[in-house]
This record gives sequence, C-alpha cells and structure tokens, in this order.
Amino acid sequence: MNIKNEVLYRVYGVTVLFLIYGFLILGKVVKISFVEGDYWVSKSDSLYLKYEKIDAQRGNILASDGSFLATSLPYYDIRFDLNAAGLTKEIFDLHVDSLAYRLVEHVDNRYTVGGMKEMLVRERNKGQKYLLIKRNVTHEELELYKTFPIFRRGQFKGGFIYEKKAIRGKPYGMLAHRTVGYVRKDAKPVGLEGYFNDVLSGEEGKRLVQRVSNKEYMPVSDLADIQPHKGKDVKTTLDVNIQDAAQSALMRGMLKHNAQSGSAIVMDVKTGAIKAIANLGVKKDGDLWEKYNYAIGTRIEPGSVFKLASVMALFEEGYSTDTPVFIGKGKHEFYDQLMIDSGKESFLYDSLSLRKAFEISSNVGIASTISKHFGEPGSSSWRTKNAKFIAYLEQFGLDLPTNIEIEGEAVPYIKDPLDVKDEWSGTTLPWMSIGYETLFTPLQMLNFYNTVANDGKMMKPYLVSEIQEDGEWVQSFKPVVVKKKIASKETIAKAKKLLAGVVESGTANALMTKKYDFAAKTGTAQLDYSKKAERLKHRATFVGFFPVENPIYSCIVTITDPKKLGIYGGEVAGPIFREIADNCYATNVDLKKNVADFRKPIIKNDKLPVNSKGKLEDYERLNEFLDFKIEKEYKSDDWVYLKSSQDTLLLKGQDIVSNIIPNVKGMGLRDAIHVLENMGLKVIVRGTGKVYRQSIKPGTKARRQRITLNLG
Amino acid sequence: MTLSKSITARLGGDKLIWLIIILLTAVSLIAVYSSTGTIAYKDRGGNTEYYLFKHGVIVFLGLLITIVLYRVHYLKFSKIAPFLWLLSIPLLIFTVFFGAEVNDARRWITLPIINLTFQTSDFGKLALIIYLARTISAKQEYISDFKSAFVPIIVPIILTCGLIAPADLSSALLLFLTCFIMMFIGRVHYKFLLLLLAGGMVAFAFLILLSAFFPDFIRQETWISRIQEFVMNSDGGYQIQQSKIAIAKGGFFGLGPGNSIQRNFLPSPYSDFIYSIICEEFGLIGAFLIVAIYLGLFLRTVSLVTKSPKAFGAMLAMGLSVSLVLQALTNMAVSVHLVPVTGLTLPMVSMGGTSLIFTSMSFGIILSVSRYIEKLN
Repeated sequence: MNIKNEVLYRVYGVTVLFLIYGFLILGKVVKISFVEGDYWVSKSDSLYLKYEKIDAQRGNILASDGSFLATSLPYYDIRFDLNAAGLTKEIFDLHVDSLAYRLVEHVDNRYTVGGMKEMLVRERNKGQKYLLIKRNVTHEELELYKTFPIFRRGQFKGGFIYEKKAIRGKPYGMLAHRTVGYVRKDAKPVGLEGYFNDVLSGEEGKRLVQRVSNKEYMPVSDLADIQPHKGKDVKTTLDVNIQDAAQSALMRGMLKHNAQSGSAIVMDVKTGAIKAIANLGVKKDGDLWEKYNYAIGTRIEPGSVFKLASVMALFEEGYSTDTPVFIGKGKHEFYDQLMIDSGKESFLYDSLSLRKAFEISSNVGIASTISKHFGEPGSSSWRTKNAKFIAYLEQFGLDLPTNIEIEGEAVPYIKDPLDVKDEWSGTTLPWMSIGYETLFTPLQMLNFYNTVANDGKMMKPYLVSEIQEDGEWVQSFKPVVVKKKIASKETIAKAKKLLAGVVESGTANALMTKKYDFAAKTGTAQLDYSKKAERLKHRATFVGFFPVENPIYSCIVTITDPKKLGIYGGEVAGPIFREIADNCYATNVDLKKNVADFRKPIIKNDKLPVNSKGKLEDYERLNEFLDFKIEKEYKSDDWVYLKSSQDTLLLKGQDIVSNIIPNVKGMGLRDAIHVLENMGLKVIVRGTGKVYRQSIKPGTKARRQRITLNLG
Repeated sequence: MTLSKSITARLGGDKLIWLIIILLTAVSLIAVYSSTGTIAYKDRGGNTEYYLFKHGVIVFLGLLITIVLYRVHYLKFSKIAPFLWLLSIPLLIFTVFFGAEVNDARRWITLPIINLTFQTSDFGKLALIIYLARTISAKQEYISDFKSAFVPIIVPIILTCGLIAPADLSSALLLFLTCFIMMFIGRVHYKFLLLLLAGGMVAFAFLILLSAFFPDFIRQETWISRIQEFVMNSDGGYQIQQSKIAIAKGGFFGLGPGNSIQRNFLPSPYSDFIYSIICEEFGLIGAFLIVAIYLGLFLRTVSLVTKSPKAFGAMLAMGLSVSLVLQALTNMAVSVHLVPVTGLTLPMVSMGGTSLIFTSMSFGIILSVSRYIEKLN
C-alpha cells in the first residue's frame, strides 16, 4: 500500500467517526425534543423562573447644610445555599465545624455548636438551597458574615446569598416630617418625598429568580441582573436649626394655649427659600404631631393681617399715612351689619390717622376708609368700583398660588364683585378689607409680607435648591422672581413704616425687644362666626420680618383655636414668632452683628472662663463680644491660656510642639482631643467639662500612647 | 454578467466552502441578534442593535481576513510555521501568569497600544496545527522513527497543550485530540500513539496533583464539579436543564427567529449555548442544518485531501478542518448533554472577537489550499 492510499484510508476512518459524532448529536436533539419533549416543557414550568424587581436605593433628602432629613438605610437578608455548585463535600465537611462555631457565636446562640452543625448537615442532605440565616442584618454585620468560613467563598462556591433591602429613616424624627413627607403603598404620596418621587426613586433593576418553595424565590445567578440605578438626592433649603427652633417654639406655644393646630414658616426674604416649615396638630391621643401640612394645604380667612393689603391699596390711591380716617368709637354699621373693633383703644376716638388705625388694628377704621374709597353699596356702579380693589389684590399677587414643590397647595380664593356665583353683597367689601371673605394659606400670606420686606419684588417660595448625585451637583433651582414690583416704591416704604409701627406702638408692642427690631402685624380671626356655635373659636396669626432695615427673614405663625390664656395674635402667635426670631439671631452670622450692638451681658466673675485653655481665635471672638480689658502676652500662638491677674484678665500664649505632649489642663474636650490625636495619641475620656487631670506628664515625647483625661 | 457570477468567477477555491462560510455568517448574525436581547437590554439600556452591530463589524473583518489569507500561497505558511509556534509559547506563558481574569479563568491578555484583549489559546492552537502539518508531512519518509520523527512531533504538542490546560482544560483536550487525529492520519506508529494516550493520562493525573498546590492557576474545582454533575445528574445542572428546555420548546419547526424565551434564562446564549437557541427558534430543521453544514465542511476537506498532490497541503487542510469541526460538534454536544459542560464556542457562529477572527483565518488557509489544488487539476 502506498503512502497516499494509507493516508486516505485513515482519513476515511476519521470521517466515519465524525459522521457518527454528528448523528449522535442529532439523535440527542430528537430525543430531547420529541421523546422527552413534554417532560422538559413541563419542567420549564416547574422550575418556575421569573424576573423580580430590585428596588433601587432611594435618594436622600438633605437639609441646607447637608444633614439627612430622610435617608435609606440598607438592610440585608442572609441565606445559605447549602447545595451550591462549587460547595463540594470535602470543603463543606472540612469547614462546617468552624462555620457552626461562628454562627452560634454571632447569629444564634440558642444552638450549641454541635447542634448548629447537625442542623447544617441535615439541611444540606435535604437538598436545602435557601436556608435563612438571619433577616434585617446591617451592613456592618454583613461584612462580618462575609468573613465566616465557607461564606467567604461567595455565592457560587460557598452558597452565601445576601439580599439587599432598604428601610427609610428620618434621623431628625418629627422635624419637618410633613414637608419631607413619605411615599407609602396605597396612600397618597406626601411632601417632598411625593413631589420628587421620580428623582428620589432611581431606576429599579431586575433579576432572575427561581422558586424554591411555595413563597420563596432565590436569585439564580447574577448573570442576567439589570443593576438598579440609585436615586438622586434632593437638597432642601430647610435649615435644621431654624426648623428645630420653629418646631419647639410652636409646640410650646400650642401646649400653653391648648390649641388645635398650628404652623410656622420662616422664609429667606431675598430669595424666597423656605428655611423652616413646622406644622403641628393634635392627635387622637392628645399628643402633638406633624399630621398635616397646614402651612400649605389649608386656606383660611386671614383676619387682620390682611389689612396690609387694604392700606397698600389706599396708598396706591394716593393716601398718606397721616390721612385721618373714621373710627366712630370702634363701632359702625355697614349696609345692614354692625362691625365692632376688638381693641379697647378705638372706643376713645372718633377719628385717627390711617397709620394709627392700622397700628391698633381698627376694623372700622380700615373698613370705612376702603368702603368710602372703593364704592359704598347703593352708590352708582358700586360693584365696578369694588372691582378696582380686587384689581389691587391681583396687582399685589395675592391671587396667585405659590406653586411650592409640594402636592395639594390650596389656591387663593378672592370673590369677584361682577360674578353672580360669588354672592357679592353690600357687606362683602368692608369685611374683606379686614380679612374675611377671602381665603389664603399661611404660606401665601407670608409671601405677601415677604414681598413687602423685599421692596416689592415677589419671589417664588421654594423648598429645594439642588438635585445631587453622590454628592455631586446635577441640577440646581435658582430663586424665581414672580413679579418685579407689586406696588410703588412709596407704597412699600409706607407699608414698612406701618408694620414697624405695629411693634413700636401698636398691637405687638408687648413683644418689642431691645435686642433687635422687627416689623409685623397681628391678626385674630373668628372662626365659624356664621354658625351659632356654643363657644366662639379663633385663629391667631402673627406675620412679619426682621430686621426692619434690609430684612433677612420673614416669618408667619398661625395658631388655630387656642383655648386658654388668650386668643389674640399678639399674645398667642406673637411670642412664638419672637422665639423663632431670637433663635435666628443666635445662629445667623449676618444677624449676629446686630446682636453685639444691642446686648452687653453682665457676667459674674465665677462665670468667666479663667484658667481655661483653647484656641486664640475662640478667645478673640469671645472678647469681641464681651469687650473686657484683657492683657495680652502672646505673639502669634494658636493656643492661649486665660488667667485672672488682680482685676484684669491675662491671655498668655502657649507653645504646642508637634511631638511633645502638652499640658492640656483647662482645655475643653474638643480642643484637647484635637491636639492630642493629631500627635497620634489615643485619648480616653472620663467625665464632662474641662480637663483637670491628664495621665501622661506634659513634656513627655508623644509615641502613640494611650492618654486618659479626667474632665470636671 | 451578474454581480454574483463575477464574484464567483474571480474567487477561486472551493465554491462549496465559500457557500458554507456565507451560510454560517448568516446564521451567526441572526442567532447573535436574537440571543443578545437580554444582555443588550441589561447593559445597553435596550439598544438591542448594539451587539449586532459590533458583531457585524467583526464578521466583516473576519471575511476580509479570509480573503487575504486565501490569496496567500499556502506553502508560505509552512515557512513561517516554526516562527509562529515559537512566538506562541511566550504568549501562552505570559497568559498563565499575568493574563486578565474573566469568569475565574485566566485566558485573556490585552495587547498593548491597540488595547485589544484576545484569547492567546486561539493563536497557540492555530500555530501548533500549522507547525504540526509541516513537521508530519516533512518526516513522512521516516515517520516510524522515535527519535527523529516522533520526538520533534510530540514535544510542541505537549508544550502548547500543557500551557493551555491550566485555565482552559477543554480547549487543551480538544487540541490534543486534534493533534492525535493528525498524527493518526499522518501515519505515526500506533505504538507511539498508545504510548501517548497512556502518557496523557499520567500528565492529567499530574495536573490534578499540581492543582492542589496552585489552586489559583488551575481550575480543578470547576472541572470536578462539571464532571460530577455530568455523571451524577441525568437531568444536568441549571444550564443544561435550561438548554434542554430550549431544544424541547423548539420542536420540529421552532418558535421562529427572535422568539426565543430561553435566551433569558440561559447563561451566555450568544456563545456557549447558541446551538440551543438555534434549536429553539428553528426547531429540528435548524438543528439538522447546522450539523450538516459542519459535516459538509469536513467532507469537502476530505475530498480536497484526496486530490492534494502535496502532503503538507493535505495535512494542513485536514488539521484545520478537524480542529474546527471537532470544536463545533463538541459545542453542540454540550448543548444536548452528550459531554460535560465546557466553555467552547461554536466556530464562526458564536459572538466573540478572537474566536471568530482565528476561525476566519483557518477558513482562509483551507481555501488557499483548495485554490492551488484546483489550479493543478
């Protein structure tokens, strides 16, 4: 046989083998598809795979300083696939003891180690692929579990399965609860959580899961997963400190007067950014809770605070602050109804200046002037004249909703004299001019005052300044001007003067303080006056801004149905306003400058921080405020020591060298830790107050020792 | 003259093999488009054309390479064979130690400058087959001699297969089988072949032993679990069950192109299990057609070999064809649970850059051989 033929025969031999191989494959295809076909198709149903949603991590809601108002904390369910493909018998047998030990130690100490091992072995033999180890494990615990024997081999080799879920938390509890809001199943979404739901919720992912028992599905692998995309963060304009002050002031006030509900809003005058928005209502059990966003969702008759709009309309018509107006000793009949002033002061006068009438909040004074100027009922075309007043309200932007970023804002209601449906009567205009017959939310009313404070420039109130992703800026919301000018410069100036007058010599006089100045208006509205109620209910309002010159904040406080210790805006809502304003002055640097001008506190000798040690800049700032005579014995040291010497104080410099342990006696804890830990020491602290003893002598070399500080 | 006629007139070489390439390319584009639905949705936000386009570019590139190599005289491959093989060895060594780890296996390296990852075993495989075709054909006169013929043949085989084995045992075994068939066809003495089989077993045992010391380099656990699964579990593991469901759902006529359901549940439906998807969408008819195409390629090569005047050409075409068809059949055999699960692709059909490019090269070389045989006749 020649070479070529021999080769060919061999080639033919191989060919035959290949053909057989090919036919075997086809035979198997036929077998699977026709002989076993039904089995496999039914198997596909019994394996029961489905795609399951993976919720994306929800974005955070942040306060203006970045602290969390609402955040999602991740939690995990831990499961063990005892029959994972890569978990061989050898490996399981080798490590099951130590795994059982760790599980008993960290997860479930009701088992003995032997019992735990027995259970694991039994479950493995049963074919368990989805044993629940523990639910709701924190991230820290998860990291620990990942280090356990077998588990550390991962899902496919070690059967370690963890499923992430999230629980929504509000680190500040009730603070701005209603404004931050929530999104729940089967409930209308509320607040910013609801309004920004799309931004916060991110994009959900998908994963393939397989049924392992009647109700439980386990992830098949991570191959077909569509990773969820985390939601973005919403950064609000809310200031945690002001919000906290507003809430606690509101709460105290409501408890004091046993009120039904209340709200307080603080707004940044220049931008319209809302700094705080607190809402409290009485729960069934009698406790107070942020149960409804009254500030945005409830429209109410504003009462006397509306008089600002009335006098501004008069100013626009050429009235001066000194124009005499009719008071009639506080009583006057309009059309067919008697109007009575609530302040006793009116009973003394027949006539007063417009300014004084406003300051003492005379109903008759304002209503009679408005009525006379804008058409008394019965006179020719009086409705058309009345309509001119309405036109002013529209000019002032009072007809506009604020379009705040929260669902459910109530729209302002202003009657139209020319619309039959609105039932415009002869008494409508006079009562409207003193705050009845129209409906506004507290926020809308505040925005009107804010506009006056802002020299007539109407801003859009807003709650959200930025959308962020991983701390990076994505989208920002700039302040929006709604109306450039709602009234003439003169009108605004007069309005401000009147509001300042209310505090200086009007209904808010009792709230005046030497610490700072503010401009405001009180309001006390009767509720359900049309019904024959047993007890007349009231709503007390106080709205204003501070300081009078270049105002920074505007604020409104509304209290509904105070039941004891007064009903008037000045006595119920006013003190809450003051408390909030006090706090703003205490925390806002721009306002603080004003404080220094006003207050020079007297400090007793024993309250002085003598024998204390700290940063030079801290002492300098303190001294700026106290203005003591202090002798200075330092050059450019960062750290100083305050001593008393005879009748003056002495500020001595103290050297702190980088690797020599200093004398920290007299330092506050924060400073002491700062200094010592920067040298690499580990600080152990006992007690509170200032350091009075340190465990290592000053002058010792710093070598990462432990040092114990006794504070007292 | 129509365009197609002008093309066929210009393109020499075996017309049937050209047809096979065109058919496989068409099948590939359809199957990849359909089976990438899930990952395209997952990674590309629903842009399902993304992978089709990417794959299409590589297919086109592959066709260009086929045409270029087909124009080269096949004897030139004989000349550069030792050089190619020598180049492949350091590349393989580099991969074993420094290759990029994908799915737990170190099979890939990234080429500097052009920044392209490729699977070095594909290159090593091609280099070894060309080199072996040269050595076996050159030593035909004294092929039964141990020292002067068998040793120079077997040493490169052991080196290349040994270097591929740690990360990719199935490819190494398949390459070894290809070489074994080449030696058988090339008349290597049966005593040596038996010796080789025994040696292979010893080497395999040694590898297992070695893996106990270097678990990072050798994927012993994976092999054991796959073989265990194959032997113990008659239904197969998760992948196999899903693959069988796909085949069963296909029935006789299939669900129609683009209608696969199992692509959502099968891992790598666009490469390792693409045959199952073809069965699901085109039924038994599709299943038969694919097997027929590969067997057709093999038979066509056999008929070339009968006409080949030169031993090198015959060995080269035969070796490449054996390698190609053996891999294709084994890939299909995995899908139907005839052999344990391996990570082999279906040549010319599966998505995957390197594999497709080197398969195109093999086709180019086979066609080059056929062109010169045609010329002579």
